[in-house]
Amino acid sequence: MSEISPALHRPLPAAAATAPGRRRRGRLGVEIRQHASARLQAAALAGGLAAGIACACAILVGAGVGLADLAQEFVVSILTSPESLAAVLIQAAPLAIVGLGAAFAFRVRFWNIGLEGQMIIGAVLATAVSLADLGPEPVRLILMACAAALGGAAWMLAPVLLRLRIRLNEIISTLLLNYVALNLLLHLLYGPWRDPATSFPNSALFDASERLAEIGWQNLNWGLPLALALVLAGAWLVGGSRVGFLMRVAGDNPRMGRALGLPMTGTVLAATLLSGALAGMAGFVICAGAEHRLTQSFATGYGFSGILIAFLARNTPLGVLVAASLVGVLFVAGQSLQVFYQIPGSAVQLIQAVIVLCVAASDFFVRHRLRWIA
Amino acid sequence: MLIDFLVNWLAAVPEFAVPFALAALGLLVIEKAGVLSLGAEGFMLVGALAGIGAILGLGDHPAIALAAAAAAGAALSLLFSLLVVTLRVNQVIAGLGLVFLAQGLTGLVGTTQGWVNRPIGGLSALSFGPLSELPVVGPILFRHDAVVYLTVPVFALAAWILGRSMVGLRLRAVGDGPDAADAAGVSIGLMRFGATAAGAALVGLAGGYLSVGIARIWIEGMSGGRGWIAIALVIFARWQPWRALAGAVLFGAIEALIPRVAAAGIQVPQYFVGMIPYLATLGVMIWTCTRSGSRSLEPRALGLAHAREDR
Amino acid sequence: MRAALDMTAVSKAFDGFRALSEASFAAYPGEVHALLGENGAGKSTLMNVAVGLYRPDAGQIRVHGTEVVIDGPRTAKRLGIGMVHQHYKLVKAFTALENILLSQGPPSYGAGLRAVEEAVRRHCEALGFALDLDRPVGLLSVAEQQRVEILKVLVEGARILVLDEPTAVLTDREAEQMLLTMRRLAEEGCAVVLVTHKLGEVKRHADRVTVMRGGRTVASADPDALSLPELTALVVGASVERERMPAKRIGDPLLRIAALAGTRADGLQVLSDATIVVRAGEIYGIAGVGGNGQTELAEILMGVRAPCAGSIELDGAGDLCRMTTRARRGLGLAAIPADRSAYALAGGLSVAENYAAGAVLSGRFGSWFRLDRRAVRAATAEAVRAFDVQGVRAPRQKASLLSGGNAQKLVVAREFADPPRVVLAHSPSRGLDVRASGAVHQRLRAARDAGAAILLISEDLDEVLLLSDRVGVMSRGRIVAEFDTPADRNAVGAAMVHHV
Repeated sequence: MSEISPALHRPLPAAAATAPGRRRRGRLGVEIRQHASARLQAAALAGGLAAGIACACAILVGAGVGLADLAQEFVVSILTSPESLAAVLIQAAPLAIVGLGAAFAFRVRFWNIGLEGQMIIGAVLATAVSLADLGPEPVRLILMACAAALGGAAWMLAPVLLRLRIRLNEIISTLLLNYVALNLLLHLLYGPWRDPATSFPNSALFDASERLAEIGWQNLNWGLPLALALVLAGAWLVGGSRVGFLMRVAGDNPRMGRALGLPMTGTVLAATLLSGALAGMAGFVICAGAEHRLTQSFATGYGFSGILIAFLARNTPLGVLVAASLVGVLFVAGQSLQVFYQIPGSAVQLIQAVIVLCVAASDFFVRHRLRWIA
Repeated sequence: MLIDFLVNWLAAVPEFAVPFALAALGLLVIEKAGVLSLGAEGFMLVGALAGIGAILGLGDHPAIALAAAAAAGAALSLLFSLLVVTLRVNQVIAGLGLVFLAQGLTGLVGTTQGWVNRPIGGLSALSFGPLSELPVVGPILFRHDAVVYLTVPVFALAAWILGRSMVGLRLRAVGDGPDAADAAGVSIGLMRFGATAAGAALVGLAGGYLSVGIARIWIEGMSGGRGWIAIALVIFARWQPWRALAGAVLFGAIEALIPRVAAAGIQVPQYFVGMIPYLATLGVMIWTCTRSGSRSLEPRALGLAHAREDR
Repeated sequence: MRAALDMTAVSKAFDGFRALSEASFAAYPGEVHALLGENGAGKSTLMNVAVGLYRPDAGQIRVHGTEVVIDGPRTAKRLGIGMVHQHYKLVKAFTALENILLSQGPPSYGAGLRAVEEAVRRHCEALGFALDLDRPVGLLSVAEQQRVEILKVLVEGARILVLDEPTAVLTDREAEQMLLTMRRLAEEGCAVVLVTHKLGEVKRHADRVTVMRGGRTVASADPDALSLPELTALVVGASVERERMPAKRIGDPLLRIAALAGTRADGLQVLSDATIVVRAGEIYGIAGVGGNGQTELAEILMGVRAPCAGSIELDGAGDLCRMTTRARRGLGLAAIPADRSAYALAGGLSVAENYAAGAVLSGRFGSWFRLDRRAVRAATAEAVRAFDVQGVRAPRQKASLLSGGNAQKLVVAREFADPPRVVLAHSPSRGLDVRASGAVHQRLRAARDAGAAILLISEDLDEVLLLSDRVGVMSRGRIVAEFDTPADRNAVGAAMVHHV
């Protein structure tokens, strides 16, 4: 009972028990910033990126790659060699598509962590069209693309319906479905779809008509123009159409949207299914454009890269294009680091994660104001 | 035949349940303080790597390896707390970033150090003399390693701390009503840092148990989504420790069943069996979400950064 | 006599906004000292500085004559300063005892719990409180939660008690009881600070009053020495007209709510058999203690919650309950919801987007394929001007940067963009200063005089009595009494608390 004294009978407190010295020193105050200028936001993004890249360089140097070699791999070779530039662009096409997909889901505040699963299902359906020789040959490729988009969207259907109906957390549901999709893929590749020619666990090679044709510069294929077209269409949808407006409302305050009679459920459904469809398309572009068959690990790492790209681009379609190119550089340089310096592929993932975390941390300075209070 | 199968299966359940149980308990502690921890998979991965690293580097001492695993989880959590508590980064982004950071980091370190596919001795089962030799009861109850037997006391301790101690009261207050805790003079930042470190140590321990206790080998990405399943388990348990333990046993039983179905000669496509834990998790989540009425102890401020000078 | 709490020239800024500029305040033991001012005048900020939640940028604080630095809630507690916040600082999932234990912070849980229980029971006896100490406080009534807060600061040993708008959420009777408790504490030698914006409370219960305006303390006086108009002038800077303006021409029934029943989010039925008829050209005011089904009634009418039973007939259009929200709005339903940040504004979107959201489906701002941004901007600029929404530098400025009053004006501008037939106004002036609520009231009257049926729901009895042409009292989910206006305040108040 000693520490709790009844207030009504307590003597006045003894003279204040604070250290008078503390007052003079001043301190750092943190305030919520109500409004941040575009310039400040750009500066924070640049600062975060720079910090992330610096950390990434430190990691790679620590792993035994010289600074000069890094500059060679990441900057010089890409600027000077058309082959490298083409490799980056080929890599950037599916990245941009999957990043666009992530951006659409994030715009309506739906955390689609299942991009890889949707890519896999998309590619599986596209491959099914190829293996079954569905439809006449001239439109086979279009059929494959449609199947891929449908597959990706279908894989998204359960998570979004569960979220809308019973508020099931979509982060977990989409993520779990990645593992289910991966197991399905392995089942197919180790089972019925195993390549009869080599008996390796990947599908038979696609016919020429089932591949994205080259466009005539280096070995670039039609994946890049397709990605550009999708990004432009996305930019129009987001910025110039009523759907984009509804998506902004759904992303900021869907309760207001509902109270104003706006079709919020439909908007979320549309944006997320589009997200899944785009991921499926990305899977199709990798298989039909670069690998020309379905492989075990074609989608590995793309899910996170898509999230990273959308995050760096602040969910804007044109920003996605820029971010996808940067990540493309990272992918291509990472491959040569793997070959020439024995740096494991996981380094690429580590670098991406470091960049995400640095950029996310830099946001602190956008949302807060630091002030020295004397 | 059936008895053999059942005994064999039930005897394997505890080892498979322990990683889920420890990870879910760790997450529960973190989430009770209001921090949404999607980084579980990351804590597990660094724990698994640290466990193997300690054994390969310091000799075959499982206890040291498990301590290293817990320490690695706690260390990584400091980065996470710095991001979400101090810098108030979106907890979803930070959690996902952390998982991928851990995937990349463990892959890089494990491969460059040459820790891949090197079998180790690891944890061994305790012996209870004649008790362990009893038919049926022996294998099911008395042939497990020390961590299995420690898990239940750890749960009891955690439940007691959370429910019946001042630290637990403050921790729950920080997760349930940060404004009230703040006005009461509880340091929200400190509580969240502490809870996250303690919880991440448990998740790291779960990861270390995977590599040192079960697999006795390290491969890249070896937690295989168990961290995510543990997150689902916490939701299923409605933030109550003993329910989390029950859920962990359920998932341990499912996992223990998978290799035994094929061994029993039942023809099921291997990869479809591999989907079962994930589909089961989804099923459990759906069941949890559709059932209403039961009291949930979900912290009200889960996932929200606290800022006093918000106006 | 030495002041118990003496704050001199305290300043505090948030993100460049000066919430306090050189505010000074002194409270003495044994007195009830009212801190009076409008919303946003800085009263709560000043008191939050006193309890260590905000740290001042400049200024001096003395407690019982000694200069102190209050660098956190713990220090304030040690100095014997306790505050009952307007938004109670309680952990809803905890029981009353656990809450008090939390702020008490004894070293041991078990022993601490027993000690706290004993202390609480003694204080309860002394003050005549009856409380269930073992229920989660989230399940207690608002008045009971407030008692938990008071017990909390008393058990902590506070001798300087700050009560922030303690009567805002209480019924008249509960408020009266609360103010008696306050007087009793002052008689025991505590310094009691009553933060309020209600002039009546100041006149009736305070020994001294300090008036704040715009972050400054503008006067400190004996309330008996000032007349009500003088006090008002001090608070708002100039006197404001608050005169009843009854309806001129009331038409036929337009909106008939019949036997409406509905449940709260947690499934509890809080609306049962609510029957209300609102005629064209009148304001029907619903008075009542919060939590008696008003929110659910508003949500069902808006179309964001489905009713369990009953109907809402709009003359000539049929049952609104069977229509989508969009169809209802098409028929001329406008809504000013109480929870602005939930149902009325999207803070992260621009002012223009918030304005356009009301009519974006109508085609006024372009088709599905082309959003006409220029039309959006032009219409917004026009509305901002017509409805006097201040603080809009550009239509693309974020809505969250608007002050409460201007945000509400923006909502009204959007809802009244087309002349409405039925208006739902739920606590339309909550959190607004006198001028802004005057402007909102003006718009409601104008809509009424143009022939709309207006359903006003408010927990502020003064607002209901000021605006309404008829008053209904809502209790336990239905209308228990109706009054023609001008209604007798006491009779309405009595119906709010006890009904058969």
